[in-house]
Amino acid sequence: MSYKINFIKAIRHSEKNSYWFILPYVIFFLLFVAYPLVFSFILIFHRWNVVTPMEWVGLKNFKRMFSDPQFFKAMINTFVFLLIHIPLQIGVALGFSLLLYSKGAMRGFFRAVYFLPVIVSGVVVTILWQNLYSYDSGVLNSLLNVFGLPKVPWLIDPDIAMPSIAVMATWKNVGIYIVLFLVGLQNIPKEMYESASLDGAGKYSQFFKITLPMLNSTMVLIVVLSTIGGFSLFIEPYVLTGGGPMQSTMSGMLYIYNQAFYFGHMGYAAALGFVFALVILSVVLLQRKVVEADSV
Amino acid sequence: MHLDGNVVTLTYWPAPNPQEIELADTIVSRWNRLHPQIQVQMQPIPVSQSTEEVLLAAIAGKTTPDVCSNINPVALRSYTQAGGLVALDTFSDFDSIAAARIPKELLSIFKTSDGHYYQMPWKTNPVMMFYNIDMLHAAGIEKPPRTYSEYLADAGKVTRDTNGDGQMDIWMGERDIRPIWWERLFDIYPFYIAASNGETLFRNDTVAFENHDAEQVFGFFQQCYGHGYFPRTFFQGGDPFLLGRKATHFAGPWEIAAISKFSPDMRFDVAPLPVPDDHQGPVYTSGDYKNIAIFSTSKHPKEAWEFVKFLITAKHDLLLLEITNQVPVRGDLLTDPLFAHYFVKNPLMVKFAKQAVYTRGMDTVADLKEIFDAISQEYETCAVYGRISPAEAVRDAARRTRAIIEWNQ
Repeated sequence: MSYKINFIKAIRHSEKNSYWFILPYVIFFLLFVAYPLVFSFILIFHRWNVVTPMEWVGLKNFKRMFSDPQFFKAMINTFVFLLIHIPLQIGVALGFSLLLYSKGAMRGFFRAVYFLPVIVSGVVVTILWQNLYSYDSGVLNSLLNVFGLPKVPWLIDPDIAMPSIAVMATWKNVGIYIVLFLVGLQNIPKEMYESASLDGAGKYSQFFKITLPMLNSTMVLIVVLSTIGGFSLFIEPYVLTGGGPMQSTMSGMLYIYNQAFYFGHMGYAAALGFVFALVILSVVLLQRKVVEADSV
Repeated sequence: MHLDGNVVTLTYWPAPNPQEIELADTIVSRWNRLHPQIQVQMQPIPVSQSTEEVLLAAIAGKTTPDVCSNINPVALRSYTQAGGLVALDTFSDFDSIAAARIPKELLSIFKTSDGHYYQMPWKTNPVMMFYNIDMLHAAGIEKPPRTYSEYLADAGKVTRDTNGDGQMDIWMGERDIRPIWWERLFDIYPFYIAASNGETLFRNDTVAFENHDAEQVFGFFQQCYGHGYFPRTFFQGGDPFLLGRKATHFAGPWEIAAISKFSPDMRFDVAPLPVPDDHQGPVYTSGDYKNIAIFSTSKHPKEAWEFVKFLITAKHDLLLLEITNQVPVRGDLLTDPLFAHYFVKNPLMVKFAKQAVYTRGMDTVADLKEIFDAISQEYETCAVYGRISPAEAVRDAARRTRAIIEWNQ
């Protein structure tokens, strides 16, 4: 008994006892972060279809990647998506946050409404938009018909499909960025607007000289989050188009998924994922540099 | 598989559709009555998205049956790479059994690159052209088209707007416009085999389809879409052939049962696939082969081989025809009097039986799924959307296929 008490005391007074408190996280980290990372790194140099034993292929997966037009096509598609999605997301989020920041009626209600799509499952949202975008029986084309306008092949025209997906993704995610912009707007001291007003600055000047510069840190955060989110584009093309038409909506993530789970090329998919992660890191670092430099 | 006293018990997995379960049940009952010391337990393949996934998972988990009769040659390489199958030519009577059943030339396409046979060719479904007799008659066409030119000329007469809203309502043909790999097994692949007089995509594991025949096939489908003879849309709400919205349909004999069930009033017939205008000789096609294999987990491969031989007797091939309307892979179908009565009762099946001799399966190269996906992408870009020429489509498909093959070596 006394041994037990001494042991507990020793633990209690030991500097090492803090390790017990971080143990759950360490276990989580080892199981769900470190192990998959190390395993994927090993996979990069192997060919493996889950069933047959792993086969060492050296740098063959990278050799294939750099001569794989589908991979480059998927990367270009992802950048096309980002180019449409990020400005659209920022523009729409900023616009709505300015409206919701002003003292209007039912402000709380609208804040909740704009946030709703964020918490709805991506698959549910995508199926909903599938019905909106359907060429023959979609709601959007039915509306166009009412006004005597021709139907738009939202998802079956290779030139329109990716912008259609970008609009849908913006609708789905804009709520979270509205909240971030609202937080940013609340942090801008009101005195700045008052003194600018006294100096004769109009609303337009106040927006460009005070609001936008003061939202820069929020902007950096949103650009980075949208970029990472945009690179993860998967559910929307997977459910809506399967990557078509003509692979115009084949995102990087969808291509990696197909290689891993459709064709059973785990090693090649791991190599693609590794390069994809490096691309995301480079783009985010570049963005931070550019956006932060603009604010100086 | 296990031993109960002196009784050997084998497990047999047939395909999980009702007709094949009925067939398997009948054959297994007969076997069990005749072989009290070797009892077979029939268990349909667990239902999943594909048999191939189930079998690969079973190989990984070492839970494979002794015998399976739903082996797709496309996936054979994966099974053998995983060490999952017994080489059937290690049984002393394999050669005589196979030679008695299958023409030598046809048998040779099932040999794997290591020189062994891991599958006993069992049944096939040759892809042919079904056509709606009344729709062709309504357009003033008496005979089904035989060549690309005839098909396109007939298509111009058949495809039209029936309700005057400016949109076409009936078409000469239709294919799923999505680039789904297995859809090519019913257009590009059988049409290529037909155009090339029986050639498949590979020769000695190297790409053999970068040629004029393949370009002609891509060009044919490009014209079908380009002229509007095939709709550039994805049909929802049923098979347009069964609904009387298209005049021709490329499918195997299973379509007969579908037509009888869902469109019993339709007058239809089958014909060989259209071929290039300068085509000479018989018209080949592809067939969805399903073969029989013994898994290496079997502790009684000799008994399993005896059961395989029992499955493929002429009597049971007749049963296969009668119950499933699928064509057994054997050279004497139209000459053995045993089958005569069936073909008198089912005259359409005579055409499939004749076609079976000129039916090619799939090459047993690795990653056929991805190769067909690559071909599908080119089909979509070239034929459906007309963005590249047939020559570019064939060149790009061949280039990507070579990259896939090279990566697998």
